[in-house]
Amino acid sequence: MEEFFQQLTNGLAVGGIYALIALGYTMVYGVLKLINFAHGDLFTYGAYLGLTLLTSLALTDRLGFAMGVLVLALMVMGLVAVLGAILERAAYRPLRQSPRLSAVVSALGASIFLQNTLMLIYGPRFQVYPDNILPAATLNIFGLYLPLMRVLIVLVSVLMMVGLYLFIQKTKIGTAIRAAAIDQDAARLMGIDVNRVIMLVFLVGPALGGAAGLMVGLYYGQINFTMGWIYGMKAFTAAILGGIGNIPGAMVGGLLLGVIEALGAAYISIAWKDAIAFCVLILILIVRPTGLLGERVADKV
Amino acid sequence: MKQKLLAAAAALGLAVSVTAGQAADTVKIGLMAPLTGSWASEGQGMKKIVELLAEQQNAKGGVSGKKIEVVTEDDGGDPRTASLAAQRLTTQGVAAVVGTYGSSVTEASQTIYDEAGIPQIANGSTAIRLTEKGFKRFFRTAPRDDEQGRMAAQTIGKLGFKKVAILHDSTSYAKGLADESNALLKKKGTEVVFFDALTPGERDYTTILTKLKGANPDVVLFTGYFPEAGLLLRQKKDMNWKVPFIGGDATNNADLVKIAGQEAAEGYYFLSPPQPQDLDTADAKNFLTDYQKKYNELPPSIWAVLAGDGFRVMVAGIAGAKSTDGDKIAGYLHKDLKNFSGLSGPISFDAKGDREGEVYRVYKVDGAGKFVLQKL
Repeated sequence: MEEFFQQLTNGLAVGGIYALIALGYTMVYGVLKLINFAHGDLFTYGAYLGLTLLTSLALTDRLGFAMGVLVLALMVMGLVAVLGAILERAAYRPLRQSPRLSAVVSALGASIFLQNTLMLIYGPRFQVYPDNILPAATLNIFGLYLPLMRVLIVLVSVLMMVGLYLFIQKTKIGTAIRAAAIDQDAARLMGIDVNRVIMLVFLVGPALGGAAGLMVGLYYGQINFTMGWIYGMKAFTAAILGGIGNIPGAMVGGLLLGVIEALGAAYISIAWKDAIAFCVLILILIVRPTGLLGERVADKV
Repeated sequence: MKQKLLAAAAALGLAVSVTAGQAADTVKIGLMAPLTGSWASEGQGMKKIVELLAEQQNAKGGVSGKKIEVVTEDDGGDPRTASLAAQRLTTQGVAAVVGTYGSSVTEASQTIYDEAGIPQIANGSTAIRLTEKGFKRFFRTAPRDDEQGRMAAQTIGKLGFKKVAILHDSTSYAKGLADESNALLKKKGTEVVFFDALTPGERDYTTILTKLKGANPDVVLFTGYFPEAGLLLRQKKDMNWKVPFIGGDATNNADLVKIAGQEAAEGYYFLSPPQPQDLDTADAKNFLTDYQKKYNELPPSIWAVLAGDGFRVMVAGIAGAKSTDGDKIAGYLHKDLKNFSGLSGPISFDAKGDREGEVYRVYKVDGAGKFVLQKL
């Protein structure tokens, strides 16, 4: 039983990261019906920018751990958001009126471009975050070993997701995003600047992805220019699992995928972990083709 | 054009054998090494080592009362160049051939030497198949790829671990090593409580570590590469789990300590052929001093030193067989050469020509992140 709960917490920490990245996929899909394949690479940029800023500005030395990481996170999120907006402007806006497939190809191209740029700048070797930045405390709750950082990862992810949910549901801008997701032409007729809404989506999604990248870098330490691919793949799966285009769906899908992976590995086989996760995905899609919380997507179309 | 070249080469070979006939008071030993190409540094090291050893042996009177002459040919680290180099060496009347480095390069030359009846001793070729073809005059001073599994099982036994967990990453190298160690450990009666694979390239291995911990092993044998090993060590430390880890030579990389962090990497064991400066026999120490005196540097790698061992073995073979006949030398090496004192440790050969002594050593990471050779 103890091992079950330990694996559950392991899965939640991984799932929290998946969910944060999945939000970027799902928001873009909701508004543009486009799978932004470069999103995983924006996540990698978050990890690399975090490393560069951390080592060059020595933020944690100057401001202390909590303040330093907070400032670092804001800087990384801001920079990755700008990168996301540039990506939209350069790779997607010129193709807004083209067939959807052209935009998907453009997304794949952007992904390759971003990945290789990173390799040229930082080199193909593994980069490592400096040691001893994080407090290495481990909580021991009822015999469960919970490294403090894992708890923080889950908490921060959930906080960001809740914040995003409230932003979309309760604010005027959020309403505009939802309106553009339902029908862009009708939204335009209602006086909503759809281009600005799309730009905003490309600011918020990458910012969350960048934050996820920073957390992965800070906690796992080792980063590499191809790591966005595997995380992007998993997050994309999570978005579909929860119902793509649906924000609570991405959160549920991400956390669920993390937990399924952890429990599948724990009780069936580690080597078959990914296969188990994808089997569950297929089963869920057979029963609910729109994903777990995906009804509203069906309404939209 | 090609024919002309061949004719020229044949004429040259003839000329050389004529001179060889005149100087019958020397014993010729061939060296086939990658003097050019991407492995050139290895090849140059092999040449320097063999030449120095020949010089020293001649100062002691050579072999069977005759001076030794080293004939070097460049194989370019390329199978096609190697077959030409092998043909040139066979026409020059060499009694034995030392070399070479790459497995595929050695493979291209095996048949040529075999047909010429010349014994060959490879120094860097670890592919298993080379000694599975039934060549009676082929030997190697390099360990075989499956030797590492044997060493892993033996080390685990020596360190006194009773319950072992084995983790690989599904690559052919790592899985091969894991399977080999698993079979050997089971044969020795060591309990293998866990055997599974992780997915390389991921970041979070806590699920696997939690499951491993549940199996309660005394030691974890990880046969994959250093990026995953580093993450495993780091996350193991976060879990407050103090089990020792042992890895294969794919984790012999300075980045391992960077990824894991010094504190988490401390106490990590891995198997690897020794670095030349870690060779501990008296012969090796003297030789390294001489080498540094002559060339002002250390040998490039253990593989170059193994070429030196190949040369010494062949000299011992010629002296022991009291003949330069290929079959007699090979027969002596197979049957009579036991625990020959090589630079890289004791050398004996089995019926296939594989080395019986241990080449792999155990290293442990110390508190400063240095790799320290262990005496077990």
